[in-house]
Amino acid sequence: MSRSYLFIPGDVPRMLQNLDVFEADAVIIDFEDSVAEHEKDEARNLTRTFLKRHNFDTPSIYVRINSTDVFEHCQKDIQALEDLPIEGIVLPKASLASLKVLEKLLPRPINIIGILETPEVFFEVLTLAKYPWMKGFILGAEDLTKTLNISRTVAGSELLYARSQMIFAAAAASIEAIDTPYTDVKNIPGLITDIQTSKALGATAKASIHPNHVRYINEYFTPSQVEINEAKRIVVMAEKNASMRFSLDGKMIDKPVIERAHNLLEKAKKYGVL
Amino acid sequence: MKKYTNLTKLLNDLPLKDGMNLSFHHHLRNGDGVINLVLEQIEILGYKDLLLSPSAIFPSYTGILKLLQQDRVKHITTNYLNGPVANFLAQHGKPSSLKMQTHGGRARAIIESENKIDIAFIAAPCVDHKGRVSGLYGPSACGSLGYAMEDLKHASVKILITDHYVEHLDDSQVKDVDIDAVLVLDSIGDARGIVSGTTTITSDPIGVMIAKNASKLIETLGLIKPGFTFQSGAGGVSLRVTDFLKSYMEKHNIKASYFSGGITKYHVEMLEKGLVEKLYDVQCFDLDAIQSLKRNPQHYAISANDYANPSNPNRVTKGLDIVILGATEVDINFNVNVTTDSYNTIIGGSGGHADTASDAFVSIIVSPLLKARTSVVKEHVNTITTSGKHIDCIVTERGIAINPLRQDLLEKLKHSSLDIVSIETLMERAYSYTGVPESTTYKGKPFGVVEDRDGTTIDTLHKKE
Repeated sequence: MSRSYLFIPGDVPRMLQNLDVFEADAVIIDFEDSVAEHEKDEARNLTRTFLKRHNFDTPSIYVRINSTDVFEHCQKDIQALEDLPIEGIVLPKASLASLKVLEKLLPRPINIIGILETPEVFFEVLTLAKYPWMKGFILGAEDLTKTLNISRTVAGSELLYARSQMIFAAAAASIEAIDTPYTDVKNIPGLITDIQTSKALGATAKASIHPNHVRYINEYFTPSQVEINEAKRIVVMAEKNASMRFSLDGKMIDKPVIERAHNLLEKAKKYGVL
Repeated sequence: MKKYTNLTKLLNDLPLKDGMNLSFHHHLRNGDGVINLVLEQIEILGYKDLLLSPSAIFPSYTGILKLLQQDRVKHITTNYLNGPVANFLAQHGKPSSLKMQTHGGRARAIIESENKIDIAFIAAPCVDHKGRVSGLYGPSACGSLGYAMEDLKHASVKILITDHYVEHLDDSQVKDVDIDAVLVLDSIGDARGIVSGTTTITSDPIGVMIAKNASKLIETLGLIKPGFTFQSGAGGVSLRVTDFLKSYMEKHNIKASYFSGGITKYHVEMLEKGLVEKLYDVQCFDLDAIQSLKRNPQHYAISANDYANPSNPNRVTKGLDIVILGATEVDINFNVNVTTDSYNTIIGGSGGHADTASDAFVSIIVSPLLKARTSVVKEHVNTITTSGKHIDCIVTERGIAINPLRQDLLEKLKHSSLDIVSIETLMERAYSYTGVPESTTYKGKPFGVVEDRDGTTIDTLHKKE
């Protein structure tokens, strides 16, 4: 139930040292794209040493490993993470085939967040969502748009299909749908538009590649007072109606709506606004 | 007032002698050409046992270094220094070589004849035939001349040195002063070094977190209310706090009474948006501030005396509600060091640090708790620049410590969601990353003192070993 997932490079001591001060609900320590080929070992060693010494209640710690396409790195990444207190791993270029490779490397079940960043994955996304260790998806829009040879826009219409596919599959499997990072780091109005778009489509959280984006993501993914009040009314009415089906302000309320209201209040409580 | 166009001729006419106290100001910052020109001639003329009183010493002030190397400087009084002169003093300083004052303390000492200036050599961006002077015009415009004004009023001999001599100047920044001479030169400085152009709001994530915490603290303490007064430095984090305040003031339709100190384009923007009534400017940090001082009657150039002289009951700092300041080190007694690093290298000095911290209703230090691999909060600071009794809050990315002397603030914060901890806890949080530092400093022989604004010595400066 995290709102924000912040990527930080695994080979930068200053970022690791401060991973708990950026107010991200979850931090993804990166071994993949932000770490140069010759720094991969450094990132593994540094992260391992750091997490052996420092244990965090918050934020939740994930590590983005290298994809199974680069098997040697992927294998070394998994080995480096053994017995570290992490919440799970983030798998780039997620696919059913990559999960099969990963299963053989992992010594035990672990939470996985898959990055959807290839066109092919959208043809198997529901099956992937229902994979038992899968806890969420992140949309990898940069790689995806690169493969499609299209540009990203502020309106984000080019991502509508991919975002919706991810969100539908995640919702069907009750896992997290984490929207893609916004990469125009200094464009805060653009970031806000992007957050609003993803939230409106049903994303449950958003990833970021810059700590300065986290507070905006948290703000928009925290239930608003209007949403909280509405949820409270639904829950109160539900307690009074044994049928779990009733009308409120002329709108039909049934079980999924009541469950959503409960979830929203739980989220509001978790983030200190209830 | 006699007019000269030749420095040597001017110096020949002055009552120069060994042991004289010569003063300069630092408004032209690292672009100042006057101090080096004058001291190079003094060197040629062979004077010795000199007392020098520049308001600050920047790395480009190598004229001082040459005299130091020849052992012809007996003593330096200044408010801030770094670079080669600072390094030389820390390595070779003799007893009583250096006194470091505050901006307000310097003005007080000059006015009260504690520091008697024999000759003030004042870089003056614009001068007219009657000796009226302004920092607003000419190729070396620097804006306010706040730190030069007491020198011009109280020195025995007052010399203006300009590269922009005009027939008539309407708006002199220094009034009722009899200037002894004006020297007109082709150039008194390098404009590129006069305004730094580096006054930008930080976007460093840690700096942003610290500024956010400081802003929340100010909000929670209820300090942002109509007519409040505020000062922040030109550092990136301080400016980010100012930016957060701006958003809050716009949202809640609050107008401040005045901002003071060093002024930047961000302060000017708030004046022009009607978010603050007045700017009291002792030093312009950028071109926007200089332009604003020219055109906006609510933007006032003030002297160091009016700004922070502790003996002046009407000083601006006395009315401050909030001041945001930086720190190199803070100790568990809230003492702050902005003067030396842990190897006794002189890296700055008080400037207005102690002046504003002493006077403001709430003084707030903003600093990363961890700088590189060391903790900013430690058991003892290497040098006390500002006494802990004047520091109220330490705001870091890993928590906020409130001075136990300020029970009123602690009471107001009792139910806040801010991460308020003891200063010892802040130190322990830092040490959990850095380990407990070994005491690395061997203190060599003392060569200077840090003076509080009232003239009392608060710490001693030691040679590097």
